[in-house]
Amino acid sequence: MSVKVEASHDGIPHNKVMIIGAVISLVSLYIAIIGSILGVDYLAFFGGIAFIGALIWGNSTIKKLCSYGIGTGVPSAGMLAFGSGVIALLFASTLGGINIFIVPVAALVIGLIVGLFLGWIANSVLNMKIPVMTRSLSELAAIGALALMGLGTVATGHVGFTDLASAEILGVTVYNASYIGAGLIAVSFMIGAIALQHPFNACLGPGEKQDRTNMLAVECGFLSMIAMAVISFAFVSLIAAWISLIVAIVGWLVSYVKFVALSKRDAAAWLDAKPFSDQEQ
Amino acid sequence: MSAIAAKPAANAGAFQPIPSVIALVIAIILVVVAYFLGSAGILAGGAMYVLQTICLIILGAALIAFGVHFVPVGGAPAAMGQAPGIATGVAMLATGAGLAGLFGGAWAAASFVGNLPLALGSVAIGGALMMAITCLMVNISYVYGMGIPAASGKVLKDPITGDLQAAYKSQGTEGHGLPFISYVGGVIGGLFGGLGGTLIYVELLNFYNVGLPALGFVGAADINMLAIGLAGIFAIGMFLVIAVLSAYNITGTIEGPHDPKFKRFPRAIIAAILASAVCGLVAMLVVALF
Repeated sequence: MSVKVEASHDGIPHNKVMIIGAVISLVSLYIAIIGSILGVDYLAFFGGIAFIGALIWGNSTIKKLCSYGIGTGVPSAGMLAFGSGVIALLFASTLGGINIFIVPVAALVIGLIVGLFLGWIANSVLNMKIPVMTRSLSELAAIGALALMGLGTVATGHVGFTDLASAEILGVTVYNASYIGAGLIAVSFMIGAIALQHPFNACLGPGEKQDRTNMLAVECGFLSMIAMAVISFAFVSLIAAWISLIVAIVGWLVSYVKFVALSKRDAAAWLDAKPFSDQEQ
Repeated sequence: MSAIAAKPAANAGAFQPIPSVIALVIAIILVVVAYFLGSAGILAGGAMYVLQTICLIILGAALIAFGVHFVPVGGAPAAMGQAPGIATGVAMLATGAGLAGLFGGAWAAASFVGNLPLALGSVAIGGALMMAITCLMVNISYVYGMGIPAASGKVLKDPITGDLQAAYKSQGTEGHGLPFISYVGGVIGGLFGGLGGTLIYVELLNFYNVGLPALGFVGAADINMLAIGLAGIFAIGMFLVIAVLSAYNITGTIEGPHDPKFKRFPRAIIAAILASAVCGLVAMLVVALF
């Protein structure tokens, strides 16, 4: 409880980042949903954009929460976010049976409600006494739900429970080869949770800069999207999967180069060391 | 209030009576809600079956929260040999023990259908074995790799063996390595963690096997696979939520059952009861008939 982690106070305030991240996430999910209603699945890569939007929001929330020194390390926040998020996500996706357009907003609202309970437990019952605890855990559950929905959309092109739980193989509907039935949701759970907790965990410290941490979040998002794009070859049409994969790889390369440039900008000094020197040969 | 101005809670170890009672009342209300959803036919299987499922989920969560407190968690100080315990965070350790138990549980639940005690017993052994191997390897790397003896900083004598601890403790540290009591605590923690996680998994699996056909999913063998996927991911999610909340209760590091922080476990059990009631109800609503 006594360990303090210096968080950057400059840059964009948290509320603005939260609104930007949530809007990017929701708008991208709705674009992907419109694509799935029109029957074209090459808009599935917008799920990855939704995932990155949620990561940017989550990154800011984790920075706010972990600047109080919760004593358990930053990774636990990412695990808690996705643990509560997956429950909110799957319940919200079943509401797709009523109307597919309510699913993203339902995931957001159910995540906020589940997280509110967990935040209240942590702050009052467990006596953490951290002012931002309730709000942060509430946000994190919603972020986990939106991020998982984004990854699921990249993989399958759909957000509804029936589409996540069944797959068509040679015209036959099977459940055991689906996104949920085959356990692929566990893969997206882990790569999502690690992408959420890694940026602040890697960048924290006295010299932490908001733009560098956010660029790392974008890079982690595209890196996770590469894995989901490879998985998506099993579920969406070939062209849609290739679009997702190319968007993910190009996005990852661009964000990685930018992140390295920002790291060099913030470093006191850097040496381009070679693994083997020529003299030794 | 900025992050810098915030003071650590002065009575971090104190039991909170009023919020605890409120939490228990909310948990009971949620269980009653589940009962009425079952009797109204919204949740498949009948009212008593729904009640039994959510009660056993809550019991599993309480077992997880209790088990996490036994595990010797050292964190970063342990990695530098300045505190006893395994050199990582609570969330990672509990996840390791719980998921090892869960994988065993998925196998045991399929192999011993209808024999819940045998399935749960084999799982508990799996979780305990995973922690026993971890603790053994941690001690080997401490003793032969870093060259430090195992010594506790919280007690003068080991409660089980009676070995003196202070003579082996280096100056300026809180102890180091894994003393015998911490090793035993780790094994017991793995036992409870695996048991609780699998209880949640088996209950949800049976519930989805009843609920999914009512939703219109047909094909017996296929449905079982879908139910396994759903129950598995929910069990992982709830396990992580309970483990992280318990980690917040411990606030970082703990040496094992002899640590004064161990006495905080009633708070974590109350927290787990409410958290699992909320998460369990939402997880059961996935197969609700609206």
